[in-house]
Amino acid sequence: MNTILEVRDLCKTYVINKRQNNVLKNVNFRVDEGEMVAVMGPSGSGKSTLLYSVSGMDGITAGEVTFCGRNLGEIGQKELADLRLNEMGFIFQQMYMLKNLSVLDNIILPACQSDKRKETRRETTERGHALMRRMGIIDIADNDINEVSGGQLQRACICRSMINRPKMIFADEPTGALNRASSDEVMDELAKLNADGTTVMLVTHDVKVAAKCTRILYIVDGNIQGEYKLGQYDGSRLRERERALNGWLMEQGW
Amino acid sequence: MYLHILKRDLKRKRTMNIILLIFVILAATFIASSANNMITVNSALDDYIEKAGVSDYWFASTNAADVERFREFAGENGYDYTISELIQIEPKNVLVEGKGLEYSNTLVLSTLGGFRIFDNRNEEITEVKDGEIWVTGVLFQSKENDFHEGGRIRISQGGVEKEFTLRGYTKDALFGSTMVGMTRLLISENDAKLFSGESFSVCSAVAVYTEDPEYRDKFNRLALSTVMSIDRSMFKMIYMMDILMAAILLVVSICLILISMVILRFIIHFTVTEEFREIGVMKAIGIRNGAIRGLYIAKYFAIAVVGTVTGLVLSVPFSKMMVGGISGKIILSGRDYFPVNIGAAILAGAAVVLFSWLCTGKIRRFSPIDAIRSGETGERFRKKSLLKLSKTRLAAVPFMALNDIFSSVRSYVSMIIIFILGTLLVIIPVNTINTLRSDDLITTFNMVKSDHIVSQELLFHPNEDNVAKVYGQFDELGEMFADNGIEADIFQEIMFRSNLCKGDKTANSLSFQGWGGVTTEMYHYLEGTPPRNENEVALTYLTAEQIGAEIGDDVEITTGAVSRTYTVTALTQSMNNMGEGVRFYQDAELDFSCAAGSFGIQVNYRDDPDQRELARRKDLIEKLYPRSKIYTPGEYIGYMIGNDVTGSLESMEILILSIILGINALVAVLMVKSFIAREKGEIALLKAIGFGDGSLILIQTLRIGMVLLISVIVGVLLSSPLSSLIITPIFRMMGAYSIEYEIRVMQVYVVFPLCMLAATAFAAYLSARGLRKISSSDIANME
Repeated sequence: MNTILEVRDLCKTYVINKRQNNVLKNVNFRVDEGEMVAVMGPSGSGKSTLLYSVSGMDGITAGEVTFCGRNLGEIGQKELADLRLNEMGFIFQQMYMLKNLSVLDNIILPACQSDKRKETRRETTERGHALMRRMGIIDIADNDINEVSGGQLQRACICRSMINRPKMIFADEPTGALNRASSDEVMDELAKLNADGTTVMLVTHDVKVAAKCTRILYIVDGNIQGEYKLGQYDGSRLRERERALNGWLMEQGW
Repeated sequence: MYLHILKRDLKRKRTMNIILLIFVILAATFIASSANNMITVNSALDDYIEKAGVSDYWFASTNAADVERFREFAGENGYDYTISELIQIEPKNVLVEGKGLEYSNTLVLSTLGGFRIFDNRNEEITEVKDGEIWVTGVLFQSKENDFHEGGRIRISQGGVEKEFTLRGYTKDALFGSTMVGMTRLLISENDAKLFSGESFSVCSAVAVYTEDPEYRDKFNRLALSTVMSIDRSMFKMIYMMDILMAAILLVVSICLILISMVILRFIIHFTVTEEFREIGVMKAIGIRNGAIRGLYIAKYFAIAVVGTVTGLVLSVPFSKMMVGGISGKIILSGRDYFPVNIGAAILAGAAVVLFSWLCTGKIRRFSPIDAIRSGETGERFRKKSLLKLSKTRLAAVPFMALNDIFSSVRSYVSMIIIFILGTLLVIIPVNTINTLRSDDLITTFNMVKSDHIVSQELLFHPNEDNVAKVYGQFDELGEMFADNGIEADIFQEIMFRSNLCKGDKTANSLSFQGWGGVTTEMYHYLEGTPPRNENEVALTYLTAEQIGAEIGDDVEITTGAVSRTYTVTALTQSMNNMGEGVRFYQDAELDFSCAAGSFGIQVNYRDDPDQRELARRKDLIEKLYPRSKIYTPGEYIGYMIGNDVTGSLESMEILILSIILGINALVAVLMVKSFIAREKGEIALLKAIGFGDGSLILIQTLRIGMVLLISVIVGVLLSSPLSSLIITPIFRMMGAYSIEYEIRVMQVYVVFPLCMLAATAFAAYLSARGLRKISSSDIANME
């Protein structure tokens, strides 16, 4: 397996009112292609900061983040934006979308902005429709974002993250604002994407969500305290995976 | 608490508040100084006319017999009068510090007598010593000539030569404005005698003082042969252009207040909408509407107070600068009109506060539930996405800009109104100024359109053969053209003063006859048919109205010694003497000895040359005919209404354009800053999904650019009907009833809009660069 993301000695410090707050302290880990990695940990442990730092959305204080062989600290803002547009996909806890665009337009927007693929608007729209169909939300394509449910919107966000066929998807508590049923649907879709070869890294508090991942990183006070391998989720034995994960988490002080 | 909230708000919305403050300051400064200017100029003119002892009636005549007739008439009616002499001098015969005088209007030498004349210190000039000379302020301040106190001026004409020492400049009620078309040099009586021999063209200037309410009618019936006459009530009109400019500035000031209010509305709307949560919470805990509105009003009251006081202070030097131009022409009363500034500035401030109170009315509509439901009550869902990215070929960036405008048009209303107002403020004055400079306007000055006009105006003398004088000049010019292989029609407008009578109504009016290659068919008439025989005339609307004449009526017209009945065949317009005029048939026999003067010699080339050839011929004639200046019709209008007036209008054009560019730029900065503040989360989202700073800056810039483009198009479309609505009455006041506006397509529809677009887009671009500070991780702040 090729390594898609490598993090070495990552430090992130915020200075608030002249007081230093070391949120991430010498974090080291790697993610291989095809993995689905969950980051777990108590509130305030630095999970989201880690996700934003390794995806180039936020700057780092020290260390090195290498994505697809490129050191994010050495590339400019424009290249970083290109990287986020073409090689990465993002899903957030809140279903952030542009309110002046329809659901379909929100989904295809990154593709229209990207110059990676030379395709017509019709082809882009067809790809958008195909993704929506796959996620079961084709009926809401022309709706405004305030006309659809949270679960539908989060699936639309997954579609948007997939539209440029990224190498890796970063998801910050993708099910945090959803009920159990919607949460399961969303995670099933992410697991399917992962099974199709897309690498996923997500932050979650939910054991049920994490149990569908291949590996768990447990972070406490800005340090990776432990790592747990679950193996590929094939849609069966979820209870067993949950139980095993729960046990390990108990050991970590969860 | 108010102070605390005020402090916090002023800090948080610094740019927005600073821009609002700038507009309040601008509005207060302009309104205070232009109101001061209006009142200063108007009241100073009244005082000045009184102080200068302006007569009830003034006329100039070259006819000695008529002057004698007047003396008898004045004696019989008990009128007081003074008579002084005006000696015509050709500008080419005057050297200023060894250089030829650059002046192309009529120049006369005169002694003291008649109206009181003042020096630049506002002291009455009571004596002029031999060898001394005074010039009017208009001439003294002309940039082309090196006039300075103690300077040397040499006049040589008719074999007489004399060098004078320049004492300074005068404030001369009669000759103090270029609108009169004549200026005077004041010399001593002994020196005047040197220039008053047979070879000089001398006319008598008569100032009449009377309380007889019927004096005007009596004068008209006396039918004196005059070259110029003016009624006391018309004296203010000499300075009409100064009043007009003060009025234009007042209009600009009112527009600035309107713009300030639109900005205020935008800011309040924006702030209140942004703070729906705080308002909802305040309401939830029981704070009343009035108290919440008070919190907002406190801020705008503070801005209005600071803006008004600053504007008031700035208005003092600005007022002085504004009246500076006219203070060289007339005596300002010395009365302190600062209370006017105070009143006007307070009005501007009060308008801002009152308007802000009205705008905060929106607060009443917010309920506590807004704080919970993010400003949406759930009852008013409106389709927001009007355009579809999936159904357009537009790239993502321009689509986002366009879609944003169409999705929330209301957010852009303020900006659109300001940009439309700005466009109108630029285009309407520019169209007016271009019309004033257009070649076509010459037809409203009792002339036909021609290729060139040679400044060879004549002041006639009753003892000379005036016909021979005019045709002698035609021959001279014709020969010069023939020698250079140019075929041209040469003609000239000869002016008379005629007395008209129909029934019991009388009028005294300028009258015109075209001499040379011109016929009455060639002039522009508004109604009727051109005079086609010597018993027919055309009258201007004003003159026809004065005597109650209509087309087909017979009127009695006395011109010099000839009095006869004419039939009115047409009605026309004239900007000479505010609309008065009579047009005689070209071959009508008149008393040519009483000709009052002429316009320049007009030249129409028979081979219809192009612009380049016209320019070449203009240079050629100027070389071959150095004693005269050559004008295009447009330039000649400037020369007639006063180059200082057209110069002032041009400066005003630049001033207004600069103000509008500044306003547009400030509005663009304000809007972009506000949008960025409001859309911080969306910008972060777009950054997170891979939009670069450049694309996002471009979206912001394009939005402003598109709004400006829409506004400019609307402004341009509105400019024509509004020009007619606003400017036509002003032209009508000057005697022009039907004006074809000169619209210079390139300048008005391309250059100026591009200037506005460039300045505004640049300001928007610079302001939009502020979004670089937003990080994609700020998405956490998105609501």
